[in-house]
Amino acid sequence: MRRVAALTAMGLLAMLIPIGARAATDVNVQQLLADPSGFDGQTISVVGELIGDYGFRGDGSAWSQLNGDSYTTAPLLKSGRLSGSNLGIGIRAPAALIRDLDPPGDYHHRGPLVRATGTWRYHAADRGGETYLDAINVEVLERGTELNETPDPAVAGVGVVLLFLALWLGLRARKPSTG
Amino acid sequence: MLIRPTREDLHLIGHNLGRVLVVVAVASLLPLGWALIARETAPAASFLLMIGVFGSLGYGMMQRPPENSRLEWSHGMVIVGLTWLIVPAIGAIPLELSGHYGSLIDPYFDAMSGLTTTGLTLIQDLDHLATSLNFWRHLLHFMGGQGIVIAVLSVFAGGGAMTLYYGEARDERIFPSVRSTARFIWLVSIVHAAFGILALGAVGYFVLGFRPFRAIFHGVTIFMAAFDTGGFAPQSSSLGYYHSGVFEAVTAVLMVAGALSFGLHFALWRGGRRVIRNLEVRTLFATFLGTLLLTLGGLAGAGVYGSLFGLSRQGIFQILSAHTGTGFATIPSPELASWTGLAFGGVAIAMALGGMGSSTSGGVKSLRVGLTIKALSSQVRQVLLPEGAVISTRYWHHGWKQLNPGLIEAVMGVSLLYVALYLLGAGMGLLYHLPLQAALFESVSAGANVGLSVGVTDPSMPVLLKLTYILQMWAGRLEFVAIFALIGFVISLVRGK
Repeated sequence: MRRVAALTAMGLLAMLIPIGARAATDVNVQQLLADPSGFDGQTISVVGELIGDYGFRGDGSAWSQLNGDSYTTAPLLKSGRLSGSNLGIGIRAPAALIRDLDPPGDYHHRGPLVRATGTWRYHAADRGGETYLDAINVEVLERGTELNETPDPAVAGVGVVLLFLALWLGLRARKPSTG
Repeated sequence: MLIRPTREDLHLIGHNLGRVLVVVAVASLLPLGWALIARETAPAASFLLMIGVFGSLGYGMMQRPPENSRLEWSHGMVIVGLTWLIVPAIGAIPLELSGHYGSLIDPYFDAMSGLTTTGLTLIQDLDHLATSLNFWRHLLHFMGGQGIVIAVLSVFAGGGAMTLYYGEARDERIFPSVRSTARFIWLVSIVHAAFGILALGAVGYFVLGFRPFRAIFHGVTIFMAAFDTGGFAPQSSSLGYYHSGVFEAVTAVLMVAGALSFGLHFALWRGGRRVIRNLEVRTLFATFLGTLLLTLGGLAGAGVYGSLFGLSRQGIFQILSAHTGTGFATIPSPELASWTGLAFGGVAIAMALGGMGSSTSGGVKSLRVGLTIKALSSQVRQVLLPEGAVISTRYWHHGWKQLNPGLIEAVMGVSLLYVALYLLGAGMGLLYHLPLQAALFESVSAGANVGLSVGVTDPSMPVLLKLTYILQMWAGRLEFVAIFALIGFVISLVRGK
């Protein structure tokens, strides 16, 4: 009987999550950073790149950062243009939603582009005043990709020449003067 | 009459400057190694170029040993002043080549900010920056915090080395010899590095659930920025990235350790029974409590945080960060900008006062604040006593010392110079129509080498404002003397006879 009740509750929860996700307000990271208190307690959907780390905590949650700047769609290593500092928010989600995602964004990767839906928590009292998105759904819009760097051989070449010059000068400076 | 420096003076300065550049070249092998391990070939090539420039320039200046190797005061000050201009210029090469900066001045701004342990940054898309470049930014903090010249002294200390030591704003000689003192400073740093990296890495791995390499990366970078009261962070959201009270607590311990003078570290290592009596310790504790109460009062009055836990965690961390001169933030810049009234006043005052002298933090420094208060109270007592009464004021600072007019004059002089430095940046900000509060906050942050920002420091800010902040970071870190000496040297080179 208890098992049936638990399964029913889980089923109801599974139905509620998409409803909640659908009822969420679409907000971008810039809006959230400009007016963080204005969305407190609201169910929102935010699109962005997961970046940095996936921190899997002992309580079954995973933390990451969701960036919503221009680099999410046009990284610098993919001929994106400089457009200022990063714009990101903290995101907490059940670990199961994050575990199988592509690696988060870093120098070698553009992280997965996701739509995260959940409750915006501003100055959460139980988390010592932290502000973050408590996500219940993470939908992958675009898989992460590898970013390939293109080293400039001229830079390395000049570097090697100067290094040899330094070594030669160093040996020369150590020689006792004959004068 | 100004005396023009001789060719031998220039030779002596060049030779010692060369030594500094060679030591930095050797230290730069670390990020090169990191880049190779992390398969970051483009940054590796740029580090190779930078090491080549440091090495060839350094050894080029050391070709002929000077006839007289004894450094005069002016030589030492000029060497230090120039070191802190040239090292960031060459150190900016890999930053510029990374493609993360919008103009040539921006990487120089960041390298100066790194070396002076300020932490303000103009980098763009930090979150996709190569880990080796991030490591280099933080290594700049580490070298600058300990003192680049200190590193050279621990290897090469010769005649007149004390002038170099004082030039880098160190005024405590812990051991009779400068070389032993320099080595002690490095010992303290290495012990803290071992503890700090291990503790932060363990929290990263076991509590935050990071992958091992990433846990070490965060441990190394945050340690260097915390202990050297720098403020750069490997991710764009600073300490707010970690969402962890434990990580913040370990970082806070390192920030406080960095804000203590190396003399106090020595006293603590020897048992530290008289530490409580130390004027500098008492002053730092009192000003920390005062600015904390101001900030908490302001935040509570404005109802910024709904819970006592949130109010105290965020308030204490921000004040610790400001007072130690670190500049880590757990809240975004726009939110910090919204702290007005008492909360703003608390943070701004904490930044302006700074940590202890001969530590890695900036600002006016606690000893000067304590001595100023002592001098003022002595003046008041003098007025209240009968005419002709003599007041003797002494204070404990690694032993009983007498407060004398010469000392008061020196303390007041440097303190006033800091006020002037803060006003200079604020005035420049007002010239560009920044609100007074923002202009003042950012200026104090730059001049006191803190790094907290209310959003003014941005790649799009005017070039003149960037140059002003660079000047403030440089002057604030060296506490003016080396800079005045350098200016005097240049004038005498041009107009001297």
